[in-house]
Amino acid sequence: MMRWVRSGGVALAVPALLLALVTGGQPAAVPEISIGSVLPLSGAFGSSGNYFKQGYSMAIDDVNNAGGLQVGAQKYHINLTILDDGSDFTRSRSLVEKLVTDQHVNFLLGGYDTSLVEAQEVVPDQYQIPYVEGGGAASDIFKRGYKYIFGTLATIYDMGTITMDYLAFEIGNGRLPKPSTIAVVWENTDHGKDYVNAVVDEAKAHPDLFQIVLNQSFQLNGTDFSPLLQQVKASNAAVFLSDAHLPDFITMHRQYLQAGMYNQFITYGARGPDQKGRQALGPGADYLVAALWWTPALKDPASQLFTERYMREYHAIPDWFQALSFETARVLVRGIQDAGSLNGPAVRDALAKVVLRNSLLPGGVIRFQPNGQVIGSYVMVQTTPGNTVRIIWPKKLPEARDATLPLPHPQ
Amino acid sequence: MYTAQDLISVGISALLTAGLYAVMSYGLAIIYGVMKVINLSNAGFVMLGAFLTLVYFQQWHLDPILGAFLNLPVFFVMGWLVYRLLVRRVMTALPIASLLLLFALWLVVQNVALLIWGSEDQSIITAYTYKALALLGFRISLTRLLVFGVALAVLTVLHYGLGHTYIGKALRATVQDPQAALLVGIDTGRISAVAFGLGTAFAGFAGGLLALLFSFTPDFGGSFQLKSFTIIVLGGLENLAGVTVGAAILAFAESFAVLFMRASLQDVVAYALLVVALIVMPGGVAQLLARSRS
Repeated sequence: MMRWVRSGGVALAVPALLLALVTGGQPAAVPEISIGSVLPLSGAFGSSGNYFKQGYSMAIDDVNNAGGLQVGAQKYHINLTILDDGSDFTRSRSLVEKLVTDQHVNFLLGGYDTSLVEAQEVVPDQYQIPYVEGGGAASDIFKRGYKYIFGTLATIYDMGTITMDYLAFEIGNGRLPKPSTIAVVWENTDHGKDYVNAVVDEAKAHPDLFQIVLNQSFQLNGTDFSPLLQQVKASNAAVFLSDAHLPDFITMHRQYLQAGMYNQFITYGARGPDQKGRQALGPGADYLVAALWWTPALKDPASQLFTERYMREYHAIPDWFQALSFETARVLVRGIQDAGSLNGPAVRDALAKVVLRNSLLPGGVIRFQPNGQVIGSYVMVQTTPGNTVRIIWPKKLPEARDATLPLPHPQ
Repeated sequence: MYTAQDLISVGISALLTAGLYAVMSYGLAIIYGVMKVINLSNAGFVMLGAFLTLVYFQQWHLDPILGAFLNLPVFFVMGWLVYRLLVRRVMTALPIASLLLLFALWLVVQNVALLIWGSEDQSIITAYTYKALALLGFRISLTRLLVFGVALAVLTVLHYGLGHTYIGKALRATVQDPQAALLVGIDTGRISAVAFGLGTAFAGFAGGLLALLFSFTPDFGGSFQLKSFTIIVLGGLENLAGVTVGAAILAFAESFAVLFMRASLQDVVAYALLVVALIVMPGGVAQLLARSRS
């Protein structure tokens, strides 16, 4: 009997001892911070949404590959959850709420496109979760008194202003007529209204330089811009300004070219240098002027390093989408570090005071205004043959060159 | 103010658009006419037509116009199969059943396209994409002219077929009176399958032509679907010839309205016409013309 008890004891003790040896040496699981984002990975803004996903992933991977994020005395692994809203704003808002209430994310990275960001922005203040976005540039986003919203995109109003500043410079140089007649068409959204307001304000302030001969809005995701373009043609404007998102830019400019139209200066806001646009339009996208939040043509070390890394990982040239989303995630991470805490209000206060140096953005520094919008700027480029761009403004940049103006007549 | 040249230019553009609208609406009209089913999956097949045309262009360097023609038999078979496997099972159920089924099919087609091709904008650029014809002082886009010409040719062949072939006459008989068609020995089940196949073939064909003019994603086609509804209502829901008239009315109304109002309200023209047509002339222009003749 005793022999059986001794044998049974040994039979149980040996595996127990082995188990203790195996598990006793294992470290405790690494604690996690959960960051969520709702992006348009499909639908009208799918291309741009996927670029944003790339930028966010690159920034978060950097932190995790370096061992995690140091918050106070603890290192955390960042778990990034990205949901697809299909470019639908009602779904966008409900998915952000789902991230907060079901998946209990600690922080939020914003979506892409003003309309989707505007739908999402009601959620962060309700739950006191900091939300940093680089995809919505309409100034209305930051006029609603939300405390937990931070944006890394300079406003569309500023885009309109810098475009008009550049036009004034070229008019002064005699490369565009004085006054220059302007046909401005804009998408019927807060994004477009910001743009046209800036153009109209500058035209009113400088009637000797600018004369608006056409001011028309169009519906987002249009299919036939021929009647609108006919109005542009009939206006005989020297300058054609348009604020459009990528799908509308491709459709509108294709129809512009097919109609054989010509203006001495053409801009579609931030469109033109986008790789998708250049693939869709080919040489038709040459010599367009764009105001960008970032371009791979920038020669500063941070921009060059980012461009090289992106090309290694994705075998493609990055656009501003990837750079801005990368910086947006970096700013959020910096805010969490500065707060030394995962507490929403504490991180929010840290973000309000953050100064991120060595940034990719023009100027090299990210800091926010009291309303949460970045104190930022633009760089203006002109697309050139061979899928290249030339930086044309501000002139203080060492890589800035003269633009080809007036535009060459199409063959 | 606009000059006569501006107005004529808009008119030419509207005419070219009318041809495109007609060809993308015919599929919907045929299916509704024969089966009294609103084919909500039409937009999905238009989108698929655009993507298949892209595949032919990328893999075999097949011109998109030829690609659109290749879509005709491919999508006919697709439509036939969809009818045989899915649609005929709900033909005797409430109309909502076929609506939901075809809407679900649209979503499935969209998501399959998303899986295969992703969400990025696709385009087809040919040697003539940006070329234009100079005619009497007007510049006419070559692609739009080609699309109009091809659409006109195909619709003419369709009209001839509807009037001079057994299948065509059987289709028209079933549209006019399904019970009477059955009584005279027409296999209305087979005719319905042909109609669905033909309607789907036209959707794929239209998609191929649209790929010449627009960039596209798996979401492509939805906005055209609403215009197609307006066109078939304007033309007369059960009148195939009326589709051409409806397309012309919509294209001209949209194009000229924008000259005198905000361009952002362009889509409102289609919706307003739909409402007016349903209230004032539910039988469409065809019924209006029939009344005036009698």
